Amino acid sequence: MDVSFALTGKGYVLVAADTTAAHSIIKVKSDVDKIKELSPHLLMAYSGEPGDTVQFAEYIERNIRLYQIRNTYGLRPQSAASWIRRSLAESLRSRHPYSVNLLLGGYDVSTYTPHLYWVDYLGTLAEVPFAAHGYGSYFALSLLDRYHDPEASLEEGIATLRRCIDEVAKRLVVSPGKYLVKVVDKDGTRVIEI
Amino acid sequence: MSIMQHNGGSVIAMVGKDCVAIASDLRLGVQSLSISSNFEKIFPVTERLYVGFPGLATDVTTLREVFRYRVNMYTIKEERAIEPTIFTQLVSSTLYERRFGPYFIEPVIAGLQKTPSGSYEPFIAATDLIGCINFAKDFVVAGTASEKLFGVAEGLWEPGLEPEDLFETISQTLMNAVDRDAFSGWGAIVHVITKDKVITRKLKGRMD
Amino acid sequence: MARRYDSRTTIFSPEGRLYQIEYAMEAISHAGTVLGVLTKEGIVLAAEKKVTGKLLDLSSAKEGGYGGSGEKIFLLNSNVVGGVAGVTADANSLVNYARQAAQQHLFSYNEDIPVEQLAQRLCDLKQGYTQYGGLRPFGVSLLYAGYDVHYRFQLYHSDPSGNYSGWKATSIGANNGTAQSLLKQEYKDDISLEDAIALVLKVMSKTMDSTTLGSEKLEFATLTLDSEQQPKAKIYRASEIDALLKKHDLAKKDEDTEMKS
Repeated sequence: MDVSFALTGKGYVLVAADTTAAHSIIKVKSDVDKIKELSPHLLMAYSGEPGDTVQFAEYIERNIRLYQIRNTYGLRPQSAASWIRRSLAESLRSRHPYSVNLLLGGYDVSTYTPHLYWVDYLGTLAEVPFAAHGYGSYFALSLLDRYHDPEASLEEGIATLRRCIDEVAKRLVVSPGKYLVKVVDKDGTRVIEI
Repeated sequence: MSIMQHNGGSVIAMVGKDCVAIASDLRLGVQSLSISSNFEKIFPVTERLYVGFPGLATDVTTLREVFRYRVNMYTIKEERAIEPTIFTQLVSSTLYERRFGPYFIEPVIAGLQKTPSGSYEPFIAATDLIGCINFAKDFVVAGTASEKLFGVAEGLWEPGLEPEDLFETISQTLMNAVDRDAFSGWGAIVHVITKDKVITRKLKGRMD
Repeated sequence: MARRYDSRTTIFSPEGRLYQIEYAMEAISHAGTVLGVLTKEGIVLAAEKKVTGKLLDLSSAKEGGYGGSGEKIFLLNSNVVGGVAGVTADANSLVNYARQAAQQHLFSYNEDIPVEQLAQRLCDLKQGYTQYGGLRPFGVSLLYAGYDVHYRFQLYHSDPSGNYSGWKATSIGANNGTAQSLLKQEYKDDISLEDAIALVLKVMSKTMDSTTLGSEKLEFATLTLDSEQQPKAKIYRASEIDALLKKHDLAKKDEDTEMKS
């Protein structure tokens, strides 16, 4: 039942995920952070099978950190995305595949460009201007088709994201109540109050 | 629904006069939901050889990376570019390695083969998902729109097409076939390979 | 006395030395010279070939491939050119290892391997042979001329012990002391690629045994950026080397040209 969205703008990527932890029909928590800061310029929103999600996200987080410690510089968004995709693709054909879907938002400090990657549990990777996972995607993607602007300022980007959140709240039966929104740009990652 | 239809997408290759063409749509979907309208499935292997991977999108990326690795090692050790016939065998044996747990991809190969006399002759081939090769003298198709592609290509293709005519033929074939397929579309990309250059064009189709 | 400590790689001598490593270094100091000069616009690499002769079949080196005759200068990856000095057979094995490591990185991360990481991979391998018993070290020093987005153009040197270091200009092989001091005198931080080519050829002509340079004694390569800011390695073919030498007035006089290609 997780919902997550992300969109690019002029020099930034906005990533949003709901903050609910659910056990069957019961909400057990409403302040869960499902967006990991993998590196100073890389965000990863994760959703899917409870248990798999946290396990996989921490595995990725620590390996990305290890690379940075070994080589002093971190992986660029494009390389990190390829490596994470490979992890999922290899997992898919193992005995216990991870069921985790991801949105990767990064800012490449060597080319000064924002990048957003849509990744699913099969290891499908696509670079996209905007993306969503979960039931929210059916509402958000059509809204983003209409309102997304890759040259939009951060304020405009947040306004577009708001439309998505409001639409899901209005139309989805099992809509989550709260969202956590983070942004990544040239200055790094930070939480945005919405 | 079959896993081969999960992400959608189609590829076609055609033979012309001293040239070949390969084209695909650009859709990436999850069943009926479109995720991206810029997902390329055709990749260059050498300056005169391209390969297309219609099928499950995770395997498109994996196989692209596997073949890039193997072709690069071949090129640097042999000190020459790989020829289409050899690459086709590589594709076939790589896929057959996974005979009982296959990659869900049906590759399409198009290129110009160097003859002993130094000239180039057109080469196209396709394989199934476990590497059974299908050589063809006219055209090969694969992907979710393959039935429609067969029909349109059968009607439009003729032997001895010059590069520009071949471009028109393959573009019309692909565009009209994917319009009848819900899982392919969202624009297309066409490569026409000739002796001294490759012409690449992106096409806009019905973007709905 | 020495006999007791130099027959195995893993044994320190009482003075704290590893003789096998020093012997490997000695082997390298008799090998053909390899020179590298770093500039802001690119890197120049040149090497002296030792295996020459009228009867040597060079037909495979003339066409196809990526240029070069494959004795001293190798393309390790699309962004790294390597120059080797030492035991040729060992060098071939290291070159193959480097190529495989570079392709594995490309496979894992979908990017060209950063230059320092490639040097590190080879040094990890080389270091292993100074510690594990029953094996001799690689008798090879390498120069790596490469480009990556993190540190732009870079020139590294690695030796049989598994040490590596970055340089603005350096040399390995025979007469490397002479070459180094010449480079130290002439190198400037803002040297252009053209001047670096001239410098390399000049130093090469002074350190090599023969009085005149020719493509049968020389390998040459540059690494620059193309119009799309992508690294472009160029390993010169025999005819291109001769043309270059002619341009810099270092070519052989016609009467002793036996092997002109």
